[in-house]
Amino acid sequence: MTYEVPRLFPTTVVGSYPKLGNATELIKKRERGEIGEEEFHTKVRASIDEVVKDYIDAGIDILSDGEQSREDMVVYFAQRLKGYGKGDWVRIFDNVYFRKPIIKERLERAGEMIVTDWKYAESVAGGRQVKLIITGPYTMLEWSFDLFYKDREELIMDFAKIIREEVLEGIKAGARYVQVDEPALSTRPWKEEAYLLKEALKYIFNGIDAKKIIHICYGRLERILPYILDYPVDQFDLEFKNSNFRLLPYLKEYGFSKELGYGVVDVHTLQVETVDEIVEAVERLMKLDLIGPEKVYLDPDCGLKRLPRDVAKEKLSNISKAATSLRKRYG
Amino acid sequence: MLWGSVLGGYPRSGYVRHEMRDAERGDSAFLFHEAAIALASASVIGTQVASGMRYATDGMIDFHDIFRPFARSWRNVSIDGLIRYFDNNFFYRIPVFNGEPDPARFVWASRVKAFKSISSPIGMKVVIPGPLSFLLMGKNESGLKERELGYSIAKAISLEAKAAEKAGAAVMQIDEPILSDQEINDDLGDLEVELLSIISSSIRLPTILSIYFDVPRKEIYEKIINAKVDYISLDVADSPRRAMELINAKGFGDKRPVLGLIDARRIHDDNYDKIKDMARSVAKNHEEVGITTTTWFDTIPYSFAIRKTQLLGIYLERLGNDLKLEVINPITEVR
Repeated sequence: MTYEVPRLFPTTVVGSYPKLGNATELIKKRERGEIGEEEFHTKVRASIDEVVKDYIDAGIDILSDGEQSREDMVVYFAQRLKGYGKGDWVRIFDNVYFRKPIIKERLERAGEMIVTDWKYAESVAGGRQVKLIITGPYTMLEWSFDLFYKDREELIMDFAKIIREEVLEGIKAGARYVQVDEPALSTRPWKEEAYLLKEALKYIFNGIDAKKIIHICYGRLERILPYILDYPVDQFDLEFKNSNFRLLPYLKEYGFSKELGYGVVDVHTLQVETVDEIVEAVERLMKLDLIGPEKVYLDPDCGLKRLPRDVAKEKLSNISKAATSLRKRYG
Repeated sequence: MLWGSVLGGYPRSGYVRHEMRDAERGDSAFLFHEAAIALASASVIGTQVASGMRYATDGMIDFHDIFRPFARSWRNVSIDGLIRYFDNNFFYRIPVFNGEPDPARFVWASRVKAFKSISSPIGMKVVIPGPLSFLLMGKNESGLKERELGYSIAKAISLEAKAAEKAGAAVMQIDEPILSDQEINDDLGDLEVELLSIISSSIRLPTILSIYFDVPRKEIYEKIINAKVDYISLDVADSPRRAMELINAKGFGDKRPVLGLIDARRIHDDNYDKIKDMARSVAKNHEEVGITTTTWFDTIPYSFAIRKTQLLGIYLERLGNDLKLEVINPITEVR
């Protein structure tokens, strides 16, 4: 079965979706050692089925596996790499904590981490493309404690090697869209930080024959933007809605010309953006006359995992309806 | 001479985390909850005393973020949703000003009274969020202009400071992490100097202006070193090159320096030789230098916060020996 991605305003997702079915329980069972990795990924397929069904019902063109196996975007990988020790509790807000992973030895890839779920999602996607999504080296570095390397360049390049191996395995399996998530980058919007990641991305994406995407959200995107535009990626997937499209004039100022994953719905509010609101947001971008509609991918600001399922699905559905309307206008 | 002090709060131990969770669920008796916090506070005070600090904080174990207890204790202030706290994977709740803030009760006075005898012979350090951070990191729904609200916040902080002084605090630290934001403009820098003056004029206690997560822009720092405070505390270890460039270029004016040299956001042991070089370069121009942690210990596990406190004490003593400087440690004066 094949599915043709629309030429104008394709719709996509950033990655995560609310945990469906028994995904949360399975994650806990795996952590407690009650089920092994293989059984875990087999059983989580039922949740991936549900996610993909929601995406297709909502009319999304390029999908993800909904990250149903991942409790957290850093911890998931830390639990599967050699070199990490058990994490320790640190506070995120109020009296809520997460077990921040600790790097205790040189990092090595122990085996495939995300390709199994990707393959399954792709097999049930009705011919639609599914993004291969992995947490980027800078975010892994920043959101882990390091007791081994003490040299950020060395550490980020070891992450880059691991991520490249994973990406190559995904490419071999047929992935055509590869997305590296770097939410930590915009929280430290300095030139030297941007350059640190640039070297790692060059290594990861060298010779990769797929659409290369970097997702960055929140923080001070406008400050980091001038230092990242020459990253070796085809597409920047960025948050706009939550910051009231503050970034738009900066795209113009810095002459943005690559593909844009345009975050048009806020993942932190239960209020569902209307189709008209989304269309209006796209029109604001198009008025800048920076990139054509074939370079604009419509999606949420970030992963949808914190939203109730019905709200997440409705937001996606409205993105899809807005895209349909815009294609008529610009086609 | 040198002295040491932990900059701010401590993380919660496993016991305290669970106790607070139980309290939130209504599964803990009020007195048990208060006792658990008091014991945890006494414990981190003891760690600081034993590590040779000049001043001790009570650990602010029950502070959910730097603003929360004040937002809860002041009239006309409420709290809103979560927002990222600088470049940390940590979020604070936005204080919302619905009118002029007016302390209904004081956060620090009773804490100082409770803990000053436990910390003895070390003085209690009171830590208060600065007026500019409160103003710019909060939401203004008061109907007041930004400047007017800034003045109101400074007055409320002054009342808090006076009460803490009366209760027996030894030093007042005003935390202004927002000053490390590179987008703070000159007008806000001028406003900050005025607001700090309101607070420091209301008390006789020595005052420390504490800036962390980065150093301010040079133009802002030039204004800040004229503020009416006794000490300026800078986060040096987070971005050593930027911090030392600023210090070498602008110095501390007539203020006494406090250097954040122990990294409070990372868990590895800090490099003593680098710390020594930076401390030496500042100490040659100043008779008194404070050594501290870069920021609060909020984002590292409890056990590492205790270790870093001990490390601060060990390094302080080594610095005294290596730089041939007297180290102020109130315990050594007990006879």
